[in-house]
Amino acid sequence: MSAILDIKDLCVEYRSGGLGQGTKLAVNKLNLSVHTGEVFGFLGPNGAGKTTTMNVLLGFVNATSGSASLFGVDVREPIARQRIGYLPELTYYYKFLTAEELLRFYAKVFGIPRLEASKRIDQLLKLVELESVRKRPIKSYSKGMQQRVGLAQALINNPDLLILDEPTSGLDPIGRMKVREIIQRLKNEGKTVFFSSHELGEVETVCDRVAILHQGQLKVEGRVNELMQQYQSNLEQIFLKIIGYQPAPQP
Amino acid sequence: MFPAQGAEQVKKCSPYLGLVFLVTVCFTLATCLQCRPGQWTARAQSDNFLNVLLGDGRRMFANHFFVKADIYFHSGYYPSIFEQAARQSIDTKHMTEEPHDEKDEKEEHEHEQTMNFLGAPKDWIDRFGRHFYPSSHSHLEKPGDAREILPWLRLSADMDPERIETYTVAAFWLRKRLGKVDEAEQFLREGLRANPTSSEILFELGQLYFENRHDPVRARNLWELGLRRWQAQAETSQKPDDGMYLKLIINLAHLEEEQGDLRKTLYYRELEVKVSPQPIAVQKEIDELKQKLATPIVH
Amino acid sequence: MNTILALSQVVIKELYRRKDFYVLFVLTAIITLLMASANLFHDDKIVRYLKEICLLLIWLSGLVIAIGTAARQIPAERENRTIFPLLAKPVSRAQVVVGKFLGCWFACGVALVMFYLFLGLISGSREHEWPVLSYLQALWLQWVFIAVVIALVLLGSVIFAAPSSNGTISFVVVLGIWGLGRYLHQVALQQAEPIRTLLSVIYFLIPHLEWYDVRDLVVHSKGLVPWGYCALASLYGAAYTAFFLVATWLCFRRKALNK
Repeated sequence: MSAILDIKDLCVEYRSGGLGQGTKLAVNKLNLSVHTGEVFGFLGPNGAGKTTTMNVLLGFVNATSGSASLFGVDVREPIARQRIGYLPELTYYYKFLTAEELLRFYAKVFGIPRLEASKRIDQLLKLVELESVRKRPIKSYSKGMQQRVGLAQALINNPDLLILDEPTSGLDPIGRMKVREIIQRLKNEGKTVFFSSHELGEVETVCDRVAILHQGQLKVEGRVNELMQQYQSNLEQIFLKIIGYQPAPQP
Repeated sequence: MFPAQGAEQVKKCSPYLGLVFLVTVCFTLATCLQCRPGQWTARAQSDNFLNVLLGDGRRMFANHFFVKADIYFHSGYYPSIFEQAARQSIDTKHMTEEPHDEKDEKEEHEHEQTMNFLGAPKDWIDRFGRHFYPSSHSHLEKPGDAREILPWLRLSADMDPERIETYTVAAFWLRKRLGKVDEAEQFLREGLRANPTSSEILFELGQLYFENRHDPVRARNLWELGLRRWQAQAETSQKPDDGMYLKLIINLAHLEEEQGDLRKTLYYRELEVKVSPQPIAVQKEIDELKQKLATPIVH
Repeated sequence: MNTILALSQVVIKELYRRKDFYVLFVLTAIITLLMASANLFHDDKIVRYLKEICLLLIWLSGLVIAIGTAARQIPAERENRTIFPLLAKPVSRAQVVVGKFLGCWFACGVALVMFYLFLGLISGSREHEWPVLSYLQALWLQWVFIAVVIALVLLGSVIFAAPSSNGTISFVVVLGIWGLGRYLHQVALQQAEPIRTLLSVIYFLIPHLEWYDVRDLVVHSKGLVPWGYCALASLYGAAYTAFFLVATWLCFRRKALNK
């Protein structure tokens, strides 16, 4: 299997305060590969460097050193993002547009022909169950509906790689189930999914491989079942052990 | 049961009762205090909304609008404050001169020089930029164009009713170029109500009666009143406007001559000779008048 | 190009779904019609003052729309985080800058057409003359002016964090250049060194926005600016617009966008 997401010796440094305040290493010599057809869970506590790594992959932040590529193309090139879909953690869309207009806009950005785009928009709105409200501005949607619009826009170009940043955060159980179903369906279609999440049970269910990041460094990487065998425990316990969490003694 | 219900009702209504109480307080204060602001400033007594809004700042606007009328008179070709600072400010007297009047050549030359404020282009930006704004000196020539300066004069008068020049300039254009004698008279009378002691407005009103209404009696009355007003002002003013005085007595002299009253003509000519810039010519006319008066009329 | 046009369409949609333009248009119309209703010495053919007031309002409204729209484009994308799903697509930052610019420029162009149509109707109904070419030239030159202003404001929007501070600074700078730019050399020549050189350098460096303001020619019916000069002025405006856009891109391309 070829790696469609490849990170080599990635370091990202941030200025921690004002001028002369020194720097903070958000990601430290990270090496990671994700292969075609895999569902990859990217785990870590808050501040571990997950979002920074995703920011580098999506071209929002430049790496201090090292490299990252998508489909063999440097992430700094916009064309590297031609075959990916991205769902941010929270909904960040033009609220004055309707769901249909938003999807049409993103379809134009991907250069999808008008007829094909219309067909695809219909399919996606049906998939995320927003057909009946397609003409309403996004600002009038509930949070769950906005998250579903996000999912639709991430799939508009029928991506080969889907990057999901905590896709189930803030969703009700039905919404979570829906997202899980979609991930499973994409997996069955042979798509690659790279996602970060704090829902370890969910990760355990859907992921083939996981990586656990702590303080900018990669602590563990491997297939979920192999890790569980190796540590003789479930993913949550492995995670807590790796980050060095000591539970408080019971009274 | 009932008292408890009543208390509940009062509690429910208390915000509204409070509101009614506050309205009553506001109304009482308003009626008590309404006469006081009048004593604080003169502005509060004004019945003009603009006076209240702008205060004395309206004079600045009035001046701006008057200059705007002059800009229109020059079809947009006018020096900016920078150009006026570098040279000399523009005198607006030329606005009430006929285009083909026999003007003092020196004055004409001076005006041309002042209006040549652009000079030679200083650089390519300046040279290029001159294609995008009026850059040659001209005055309103087409008969109908004169109406275009009137709105600014109207605005100027609204802003500062005590600016006398506004009325005289507007009246000049209204009656001379646009044939709107009634409107000119109305505007001058408006100016006279705001400035009852103005000899300039009385002079212009007299002109209107003499030239347009062909009513020498009323013209005489107005000019004589103007002369009296001028004399009253001259007694208190350190620098009386000799030009206006001269205009009034010259016009009165002409009028009396036309009406055949040579004694009065002589009287005004004798006043004229004392202040005229060309006393020799005036003296010659006086001598001729005296000669005529000495000659007995043969019936 | 598809991406750029798609981005610009979003900006245009944003403008016509906001209330700013309508408020300014109605305000301009009300003030002009109020002025037109005034009885000035029973003369209903007076038109130049109306043109002057209407054009002044058009210029101010145009400036407010241009600066208001352009100043919030990139900061609002960052603040509302809509930039993240956008840049996660195959969209370069240069495309974002150009798309935003074109969107603002086209939107302002549509607004200007509406304003000039109103001006044409008002003045035509009074003077029964239709100087279409004169209005078209004035509109075109104002549109070029707005292009330079939008590009300048976009540059400001990647330098200053808050759209309000960018808007205010841009407004002051544009008004300064527009009102005083023409006289800067004249003032410089009256100063001692080194202020003289400094002012002269600024004079030759700033875009001379006053060229695009041909209101006096329109109001006083002074005819058209020769089309050759109009084309040169447009070229000059295009060069400054390109300069500001490239500078915007240079500032924006390496800017880290942290969530």
